[in-house]
Amino acid sequence: MTAMSGDHPHMQDFEGHVSAVASDLEYFRRKRIEPRVLNYLRRGFVTWAELFAAHDSLSSEPVPDPPPDLELRIRSLEDSLDALILDAATAGTALAHHAVAIDDGRRERGDYNAEFRLATHSYEGDLETRISQLETTIAESAHLVAVLMAALVAKGEVGVDELAANRQRLSELGHHNGARIVARAWVDPEFKQRLLETGREAVRELDIPPGRLGKLGVAENTDDTHNIVVCTLCSCYPHDLLGNPPWWYRTDEYKTRIVADPRATVADMFGLDVGSDRRVVVHDSTSDVRWMVLPRRPAGTEGWSEDELAALVTAESLVGSAEIHEP
Amino acid sequence: MTERFAPGDRVRVRVEQPEGNPRTPAYVRGRMGVVVERHGVIENPLDHHFPYPPLYSVAFRVEDLNGPPGPDVVVADLHDEWLEAAL
Repeated sequence: MTAMSGDHPHMQDFEGHVSAVASDLEYFRRKRIEPRVLNYLRRGFVTWAELFAAHDSLSSEPVPDPPPDLELRIRSLEDSLDALILDAATAGTALAHHAVAIDDGRRERGDYNAEFRLATHSYEGDLETRISQLETTIAESAHLVAVLMAALVAKGEVGVDELAANRQRLSELGHHNGARIVARAWVDPEFKQRLLETGREAVRELDIPPGRLGKLGVAENTDDTHNIVVCTLCSCYPHDLLGNPPWWYRTDEYKTRIVADPRATVADMFGLDVGSDRRVVVHDSTSDVRWMVLPRRPAGTEGWSEDELAALVTAESLVGSAEIHEP
Repeated sequence: MTERFAPGDRVRVRVEQPEGNPRTPAYVRGRMGVVVERHGVIENPLDHHFPYPPLYSVAFRVEDLNGPPGPDVVVADLHDEWLEAAL
């Protein structure tokens, strides 16, 4: 098992990167993209004919040749997946006024019942063959998302400008809000207490939009407890506040292993050895309480400013798969 | 809806609860745990149309979930109707 400890300036492990793309693409395709189209058809928000008309209205742009260099080609693949994920989230904002509850989607896509799940694509063959298959599937999924958005725009459900603004807002969500929350909690014990007790309400003090997805649970790492977050039933996370979690958060491997043997799993998957003097606490979220980890402040940062401290905080540390090291 | 449990209470998770909220993971069903936090009824209209029953954080020892012995725990957030008092 490759340690999933973050990005490196140079790719060491092409296989690892390509299997990560395959895993995450299948998650989004099967959970967030194709089920959404089916939901909208089922509810009558869009019809097949409107989708076909939108397809015909989109000019088909030729797909550019992938870069010949393998590393650049894999980076380009990852970038196109990131763009697809952002577009899919943007499409999800188009019908906000119809109040489709998220849990309806979870039921219909099979989070609670395997019979409803969409089939998984398998990507097989040598590395370049699989890359080529992934490029095709990403392009096809991106087209489906584009068709859905064009159909909703043509119906007048949403404006192009509104979608662009939503896309911009979503692209700015990221772990930097979490980093600012953590840095404030490190320097201001009273804020930390309010954060632990009131969650989302406290982040307003930092002018961070608190989001509306249920309650924010904050699990504080201490000298005797290391916390880590999972959502075994879907992939709940306070993403309206913190952006998306690391990609492996959505994998079945992580969800299964972390609750079966937390200590061995963080060591094996993330290279994190939690000392025998500390217990590991796994938080399995429901959608009503979405958890983040408050990591420990590293030694050697006495007198640092909040901005300097925030720069140390990683997306992984907010989930609990990494500690923050001494600078 | 009243909250039947308080922090410190020992509870067992029902194995089946056909009318219950489906967000109860299979690996805790039938298992014993301890309530560690009460969240009450959470209004979350983006996520679901009607409020669910009261929610609790329940801690399970990893070894009680067929994992290795040791101090580690899994805390799952579970709704009232899935829990029954345990001695």
